[in-house]
Amino acid sequence: MMADVSNPRKREDTKKNKRPNKNYTVKKRLPLRPIEGDNVIFITKKTNFKAQLEKCCDLLTKGEKEIILHGLGAAIQRCCNLALQIETLFSGTCQTEVNTGTVDLVDDLEPLTDDLDFGSQVRHSSSVHIRIFRTAMLGSNQ
Amino acid sequence: MEPAEFDATLGGKEHLPYSVNSLKFATARSVEIAAMTESILYPSKTKLIFQCLPVHMRRRVMSHNAKRLPRKLREGHLEQLKKSGLPPKQKRPTRRYRRRPENMLLEYNRRKQRNVWLETHIWHAKRFHMIERWGHRIAYAPCDKAFRACYRATSAHCLIQDISYYTPVSITGPENYIKEMFSSISSCCCGLSICAKAYIDGKREGFIHLYNKNSYPLGYIGKASFIWVNSKMEKSLWLFIHPSQIKQVESLLSDLLDTISPSECFEIPAKKKKIINKLAENIQIKVLPGAYNRFRLIGPKSHAVLTKSLKCIETIDQINHNKWISTIDKRSLYLKEKHCYWQNINNVMSPSQLPPRILVSLIVRDPRLSRPSKRTKAVNTSSVENVQHLIDLPPFLSISPIWDNKIHQILKNERLSNTEFIKHVTKTRLIPGELNINDPALQSIPVVLIQRPGSQNSNKKKIGYGCGWDIIVPSGYGLIFWHTFIMFGARSGGLRETENLAFEMGECYLPPDSKSGIEEEKLKSTELRERYFRLPPSKRINYRKLAVITPFTCPWNILLKDWSNKTSNEFFILRDRKLLSVIQDCMQEKKQLPEIDSSDICLVPIYLKMVKKGNIKQNAIICLPHEKDFLTLPNEPYCEDPNEKIRKEKRKAHLCELKSVKRRNKKSKVKNGTKVLSIKNKNSEPSEYMKQMRELWLPTNIETCRNSCSREVMGFLCQAAFSFSESCGCGVGYLAYNALDTLLKKNINQVLVRNVSSRYYRLANINVIKDQ
Repeated sequence: MMADVSNPRKREDTKKNKRPNKNYTVKKRLPLRPIEGDNVIFITKKTNFKAQLEKCCDLLTKGEKEIILHGLGAAIQRCCNLALQIETLFSGTCQTEVNTGTVDLVDDLEPLTDDLDFGSQVRHSSSVHIRIFRTAMLGSNQ
Repeated sequence: MEPAEFDATLGGKEHLPYSVNSLKFATARSVEIAAMTESILYPSKTKLIFQCLPVHMRRRVMSHNAKRLPRKLREGHLEQLKKSGLPPKQKRPTRRYRRRPENMLLEYNRRKQRNVWLETHIWHAKRFHMIERWGHRIAYAPCDKAFRACYRATSAHCLIQDISYYTPVSITGPENYIKEMFSSISSCCCGLSICAKAYIDGKREGFIHLYNKNSYPLGYIGKASFIWVNSKMEKSLWLFIHPSQIKQVESLLSDLLDTISPSECFEIPAKKKKIINKLAENIQIKVLPGAYNRFRLIGPKSHAVLTKSLKCIETIDQINHNKWISTIDKRSLYLKEKHCYWQNINNVMSPSQLPPRILVSLIVRDPRLSRPSKRTKAVNTSSVENVQHLIDLPPFLSISPIWDNKIHQILKNERLSNTEFIKHVTKTRLIPGELNINDPALQSIPVVLIQRPGSQNSNKKKIGYGCGWDIIVPSGYGLIFWHTFIMFGARSGGLRETENLAFEMGECYLPPDSKSGIEEEKLKSTELRERYFRLPPSKRINYRKLAVITPFTCPWNILLKDWSNKTSNEFFILRDRKLLSVIQDCMQEKKQLPEIDSSDICLVPIYLKMVKKGNIKQNAIICLPHEKDFLTLPNEPYCEDPNEKIRKEKRKAHLCELKSVKRRNKKSKVKNGTKVLSIKNKNSEPSEYMKQMRELWLPTNIETCRNSCSREVMGFLCQAAFSFSESCGCGVGYLAYNALDTLLKKNINQVLVRNVSSRYYRLANINVIKDQ
């Protein structure tokens, strides 16, 4: 049980050692985001998968014509997974449209010694934007 | 002809003298004069003032109603009444009278004398619970109980706090002297020093831990933020200091500058003496309370609120008529460049997308011009495309005229008050109420924005939690800016939100090794203790039965003594960055801790997170787990309270005594016919009996706490609650260094936590707090 707790941390540590220089610590900034809205959902790895799925289903059943899912980096897989799940759940009544892109991420380098100034570096991370839209509204046959 | 009046002219014998001898005249009347002066000086009247009035001025029930007396006699009359013991019954002036602006102002000025009021005080006093703290009257929490709403504002919207109580201190002088000065009161181990290259150019705000002179690691004072201001003539350093520490810092700084007394002079080598003298000559320290207003905006939407309310001036022509412009160099304003930069970062979604802790100084229009007519939520409509705008940090950005003392008074004098503004807008405009953006009547205002990065580590907290802006506004303009921010949808918070944010961020709020922290802890513990003893005995938790000896305080000294077997009055919290990260690595890998000096008096700050469910509260106990505790979580066994019997007997005896006293009183009452005054005073000290009983409930003289319960006590939690950002119980606390060492020697990196009111131990993960 205790090994479970310490394992992911160790992995983080090895990641941390990749920092550019020993004199700096890497601090992350919030990535640039697309415009927010009621029907825009940002998929994270921390949030419960079931909860996110339910939120999406709720939006669609309550009359939203389309929802947009954004996934960044490690959350891409989860984002795709979610979209596929929704497609099967709403069997045939909704379609998906997938776009991929690259997002520029900015890291700050905070100096650890007195004779250095702040710095910054730009990383790139892949992102996915999935638009899920209804093709036929259930219970609204005009 | 004179009419004949006197004796001789009428044929009498008496002749009038031709001249009057004044001396003779006076001596003839000396007795009368003496009597008169004496009666004036020492009036032997036994009558009261209203009784001395002539009959035609007397009125019915004059003594009762002072208003019937002539006004000039009223004061004396009231004095007389007071002397005679009768409390003068004065009617409270009517509300209508009290609410007249001039009377209201008088009353406010009277109340201001006791505590400092912030500029937004009256706005806050209408909506907040106000408390007295650190010589100020500070808003504590909003009356609408918006605890969760305030959290939501910090994480998703915008929370605004007035933190103008932070006192600015300006230190002017050559850089090397200031460095010399701060080398003795801060340590390089705690982070970057005050003259680090990252801060010296004034582009960013820095933080520094202040200690008493040459006493590191003991004698901690507090954390202060600082800004370097580079003007053409000289460099100056601005410290913003928490009001609980300002007195300590002030005396510390003046001590550093003071030339030493002549008796000490002989022992100090000439070189050092020279330095000290030079310090005093070259460095000027000014404490300027109330010189600036400082508002803290927290949350991702705080940027949208600022961009909506602050509109930059584009060209110098627009503000040439402002009086304060004439006192400064116009080329140092960089109006166009700053306007351009502010436009570029206009669409940023959250302040945490910008470089950390940067200073952005702007010259803005009067915010009343950009105020919406209804309260609206400020939101961003488009996003930034170019990443380069977020990285660039132009050199002119931090240059601001706000630090110049000369313009403060001009700004304040030229300010249009709200009434004047409304009058101006409604009376003088062609269309009443129409706003002209380039109105010459309203002057432009220099402001400084300071970015706060919030969480920068995704392993600890979600990135950007707690990010925001601090805005520094010249005095006099506080309420004007405040109103505009509120109208753009910022939610206001008080001191409770400051505490809560520190807890959510996992920061130490007023650490217990500083004077301010000790005072804060004392305040809280007395409050809890008073509350506990106000409960009826049947509703009081018997902490002895739960094996908790200090439910309301954290006895750090006793804890450290138990873990080291050495008595010491002082202790300190570890702030050495390198050491803290080494300890964190040791905890992850379950390695042994490194040997450090003075580990006996050292506390390690930790952030604690529950493994499973369980809500922890303040002062919870952190315990050392046994090997088998990981299989089944332990409970504290039932504990006997030895004092229970004694308390019962004592209470019985006390009741008997009360009864007999009552009987005696009754008898004497019958005999004398007078009532014996009961000695009951709510505000006075508790009686001897009460004190003894309290001692039996909670003994105060504790000698050891390590083995007070079935698991060994390692430390305590200062702040603990359910954390909304982590969605589980979390806490900030301190462990004894030796206790942590013992834990890791056992090859364990988890601890047990127990609430003071509970018997159940729960498992928790701990992490070292690195950035304090």
